[in-house]
Formats: sequence, structure tokens, C-alpha cells
Amino acid sequence: MSFRIFEYNGSAIVAMVGKNCFAIASDRRLGVQLQTIGTDFQKIFKIHDKLYVGLAGLATDAQTLHQRLVFRHKLYQLREERDMKPETFASLVSAILYEKRFGPYFTQPVIAGLGEDDQPFICTMDSIGAKELAKDFVVAGTASESLYGACESMYKPDMEPEELFETISQALQASVDRDCLSGWGGHVLLVTPTEVRESTLKGRMD
Amino acid sequence: MDLNLNAPHSMGTTIVGVTYDGGVVLGADSRTSTGMYVANRASDKITQLTDNVYLCRSGSAADSQVVSDYVRHFLHQQTIQQGQPATTKVAANLIRLLAYGNKNSLQTGMIVGGWDKYEGGKIYGVPLGGTIVEQPFAIGGSGSSYLYGFFDQAWRDGMTKDEAEKLVVKAVSLAIARDGASGGVVRTVIINSEGVTRNFYAGDTLPLWHEELEPQNSLLDILASAPAEPMRI
Amino acid sequence: MAQSAIEVPPKGGFNFDLCVRNDMLTKKGVQLPSYRKTGTTIVGLVYKDGVVLGADTRATEGPIVCDKNCEKIHYMAPNIYCCGAGTAADTEAVTDMVSSQLNLHRYATGRQSRVVTALTLLKTHLFSYQGHVSAALVLGGVDVTGPHLHTIYPHGSTDSLPYATMGSGSLAAMAMFESQYREGMTREEGIHLVSEAIRSGIFNDLGSGSNVDVCVITKDKTEYLRNHMLPNPRTYVSTRGFSFAKGQTEVLSTKIKQLRERVVEVAVEGADAMEE
Repeated sequence: MSFRIFEYNGSAIVAMVGKNCFAIASDRRLGVQLQTIGTDFQKIFKIHDKLYVGLAGLATDAQTLHQRLVFRHKLYQLREERDMKPETFASLVSAILYEKRFGPYFTQPVIAGLGEDDQPFICTMDSIGAKELAKDFVVAGTASESLYGACESMYKPDMEPEELFETISQALQASVDRDCLSGWGGHVLLVTPTEVRESTLKGRMD
Repeated sequence: MDLNLNAPHSMGTTIVGVTYDGGVVLGADSRTSTGMYVANRASDKITQLTDNVYLCRSGSAADSQVVSDYVRHFLHQQTIQQGQPATTKVAANLIRLLAYGNKNSLQTGMIVGGWDKYEGGKIYGVPLGGTIVEQPFAIGGSGSSYLYGFFDQAWRDGMTKDEAEKLVVKAVSLAIARDGASGGVVRTVIINSEGVTRNFYAGDTLPLWHEELEPQNSLLDILASAPAEPMRI
Repeated sequence: MAQSAIEVPPKGGFNFDLCVRNDMLTKKGVQLPSYRKTGTTIVGLVYKDGVVLGADTRATEGPIVCDKNCEKIHYMAPNIYCCGAGTAADTEAVTDMVSSQLNLHRYATGRQSRVVTALTLLKTHLFSYQGHVSAALVLGGVDVTGPHLHTIYPHGSTDSLPYATMGSGSLAAMAMFESQYREGMTREEGIHLVSEAIRSGIFNDLGSGSNVDVCVITKDKTEYLRNHMLPNPRTYVSTRGFSFAKGQTEVLSTKIKQLRERVVEVAVEGADAMEE
């Protein structure tokens, strides 16, 4: 039994920035190594209407971390009577992960949100909370290598929502098809200042 | 080549301390390395603890710095409380206290040297386990293994200040020549009733030993004949 | 096991709850993930009127370049900056932590922070974790006692030097310093030499890459020259790029949620003061 812990369940998550909007997408597979257990597994979680977090890596840790993040966000809402800014939320996630520096959650988060004046914000971290703020796209999961390549060539700055949706979907599909551990279609969330469009993509089922 | 830059910062060192008529002379090389890489070629391993007590450090740089920082702190407190300078013996005892109490986590050997009005010039060795030894002369660090015989032969009671310093510089330069983990320059500190003198002997002014060659086109030569942009073709 | 039902936000310090589980997984042969590293070239030098710091901008995770333009020169105080190499999370956390301690200290004393204060705070933290917090730092700044440059190793040892390099590209950068550094350089010469040292790291060390960041600190001014040099522009820019027609992706289902327009609150007299 020698494998990397991220490869236990398998995942692919990507977020991209467009013009006054962003998209975050994930695959739908839950596996136990090479055996597929679920084909409609949720990996992107809502924090509030304009803030989402995708959690790649070990599913049990992803769900635990998600619960803690929701809890902390609700505490914040009670205290402050407002939603968290994406930047603040990213720092919170980073702090929660770094707290477990010497016994980490095996999960790599992708954070995407619309901040003040509906400016898009995306960010990813490693499993101990080293933030990487990007202006274009961020990726995580077992398919991250293919995703880097696909996004690097497909991404263009200032895309309109429709084109952003197509681009992120194509990048995701192309990448998961080269990864045994992720796939089974995808979830895509396209967030603009006025609406959230949540789509399920059709993909290969092998 | 295994540079191993992640190795702890350590001082494969040559440190010596010698008493003479009226005071002490401390000496050290200036090389600090991480694995095979010289991280600092001009480091100062002779640290001041109080006005009249100095400490030669060897082994892990982190450990010896922490010990010397704590001891300096305690000695300052003590100096204020007593209203008079701390003695070398007190300094050595504080070092021993820390070195012995944390012997399982500290990798450092030290030599304390100083002058006080009660006992004059004194040298104390505090090696790895945290013992304390009052000695007429002490040597330490990786380079010291090349020096035992030399000191047995060359050290004598009642040297003058200049004789003692000459001996220290000669000893450190001998160790630098043979020990790969020691190098750079020789630093000395002379402590007596008059105060403290610090001296510095650059690498190219040191005596040459068996089969050592006169440097040619060394970095020092190039820098000395400095064109506008050295080492640019 | 008298744990409260609600987990209250922690007050600080590390949490070792998952260590037992993670050790169990390791013993079963599971490989733990690699952390984001900054296999880095970071440098600094003292010149006539102050300090110049420099860094490359590549962050890596194993063999993957995960950030092509990250920031490795961290803010400590208005007059002190710190370059970080090693595990990215550690350098980030340790500099942030000390920077906030310095800020509080400034509030308490009403005086400019000193470089030695930052140095001592950093080294005591690193020493207390015995090298497990792997941050290798180049700390530079100007205070009432003049310009200072220090290197700090993960185990907590420190050096004070006129010029310093750290990270995987430190050898390449040190080669430039050893051959070209002189005392009393001007600002322009300082920036030039720092940039050249970083470039030699970028081109000769695989762990370093992308751009050159520089930070110049003098007695009364700090300049952060982000992306001072861009020696590695994209060579594969396509004018058109990929474009996908609308509806090209096969979609199984779509759910649209309209977001409510945000309610604009009318400020009440006197309420403003409460919010600050």
C-alpha cells in the first residue's frame, strides 16, 4: 500500500477569473484508489452567495474542513453582521491549515469569490496554508498537472461569463480525461454580480 | 557533491584560549558551514558576554548563540544587582548550568575567558556534556585535534602578552591548514586589567605551513588589483 | 475527553490532533503530500545609504512550478523587510507573526522598530521549533543604529553580513557577490548587483526562476520594486488564443440563482462612530 495520500480519493478543481465574474469547477468522482465509489460527489462548497471553496485531496478531511469553515463563517456573521470578504476568508483558511502544520489536513483548497465592488478573487493553498494569489487561474487535485497545461493555453484575460464557462469546462474535461483518478463529468459554478449559474457537465464515464 | 544546504548551521571550528602573565588571549577561526558549503567566511565566534568576559563558541551555531544570549542576559542582570562586574567564574558557571541542564538538546562546546579583580585572567572549558574545567589553556572545536601535541610542546607558564597571542595565532593557523572545517581569518581577543583588545589576522597574512603554497591569482589578489568590474571578461 | 461540544476558535499555537492518524497512515506506507516550497534565490546587501534586498519569484511543489510570480520579500515593518526561502507556509507565517508583534511593540513604545528586535523574535521562534519550522531568511532594514543585514537559518542561528544569499540558488548568487561586491556602493550599483545575483540564481538554479523583485531601504524611504526585471517573458503568446463557441460543452443540467441586489443602508447620524 504505497500511494500518495491525495491519490486516495482523486480530484480535480480549477477556478478562473473573467471580467467581473469568476468560475470554479470540479470533477464529480469519489474513488478509493482505482475503484469508483461515487459519481456525484460534491467538492465545491458554498460559504455565501459570492464565495465558494473547492476542497481537493482526502475526502474525509475535505468534509471536516468544510464543516469547520462553515462554522467559523457563521460565527463571523453573528459577530460582524456581514459576509466575509474573500481575502479575509482566505486568511482564515490559511490560519486553520497552518495551525495543523505538523499534522495537516490532507486537502488543498481553492477559494473563489467576488469581493468589494464585485472584484473577482481566486486563491489556492497547499495543505499547510501557503497562500498563492493568482490573477488568472488556480488548480488543485490529482489532475492539477494536466490542468496547469490546459489552463495555461486556454485562458485569456477579461473573458465574458459565457466564454469563461466554456473555457473552464473545456479545460476541466480535457484535463480529467488524462487522469485516472478524477472524472465522471463536472460541476461548474459561474458567479457574476447578479446571478449564480450552477451547471453539471456531461463527461466520460470510465 | 553533497552540499546539503539543509544541514544545521554549524561551526566546524578551531577555538583556543590561553592564559598568560596578567590576562588571557582567546582565538578563533572564522568559518561557518552548512554541510559542505561555507555559509559565512568571516564570522565572529568570540562573543562578548560582559565588559571583561568573552566566550569562544563551537558546534551548532544556533545552540551556542542561544546559550551566549541567555548568559549575557543573566550577567547583565547580575552586574546591575551586585553593582560590580561579574566574574569569569560566575559566567562559566551560568554557561555550565545551561549546558548541563539541556545536555540532551545542545550540541555545543565553549571556552570562557576573562579577567576579574579577584582571580585575574582565567580560562574555563565547557565541553559537550556540560562539565566545567578551569585550565591554563583550552582548545576546542574540530580543529583542536590537530593542536593537542602542539600545545603540549609549545605552551609554557608565564608567557608575556605578545608571546601568548603569537602562540594563539600560530595554533589557529596550524589548525586552519589541516582542518577542512576551519578556515578564513584568525580573530583574537586579549583581556587583562587594562581592558580588551581585539585583533584580526587576514587569511593572506597567516604563516604558511608544510607544503602550503603562496597564493597566486587568488580572490584577494584580484580584488587588490581591482579593475572597475572585477572578473568580467 | 471533556471537550466542549462547540469548538471555539483557537488562541494560537500548533495543534497536533491529526498527528496520530497521519503517523498511522505513514506507517502503512502512505506518502504524505509535499508542501509548497520556495526553492529560491534570495539575497541582500548593504550599500552606502542603506540596504538592498532581492528575490526571484518562482514557487515550486516538487517538480511543478505552482506560482510563476510569487512574492518572497515580506513586509516586517515600514523600515524592515525580510526575504524568505524554504517551506512557503512557514516563511509566510513566521514573518506575518513577527511583523504583527513588531507593530504592537511600536504601538507600545511609539518608536521605530529595530532590526535586532525582528532578528531576535525570528530566531527565538525558529530555535524553539528546532528546525522543524523550515524558514531560511534574509532580514534587512535601516533603524536608528544604521543599516543592518542578517541571515537566519531554520535552526535559529543568525549571521550579520555586508552581503548575504540564501536558498537553493545561494551559491550562484554568492558567486556574483564574491566577485563584484565592494564597500560603499551607490544605490544604482547596489540594485544592479542584487539584480545580477538574482538573475544568476534564476538562470543557473532550477529551483529559482521567473522575475526579479527588489526592495531598497534607506533611512527615510523604502521602495519595493516589484518585478524590477522580467527576464523570462512568455514566448508562446498566441494572438487569438483558444476560443470556444457558446454551447460547445455538453451540459446535463443548469440551475440559475438570481442574487438579490444588495440593500443599501442609509447611514444614521452618529452611527458611523460606532462602526470604526
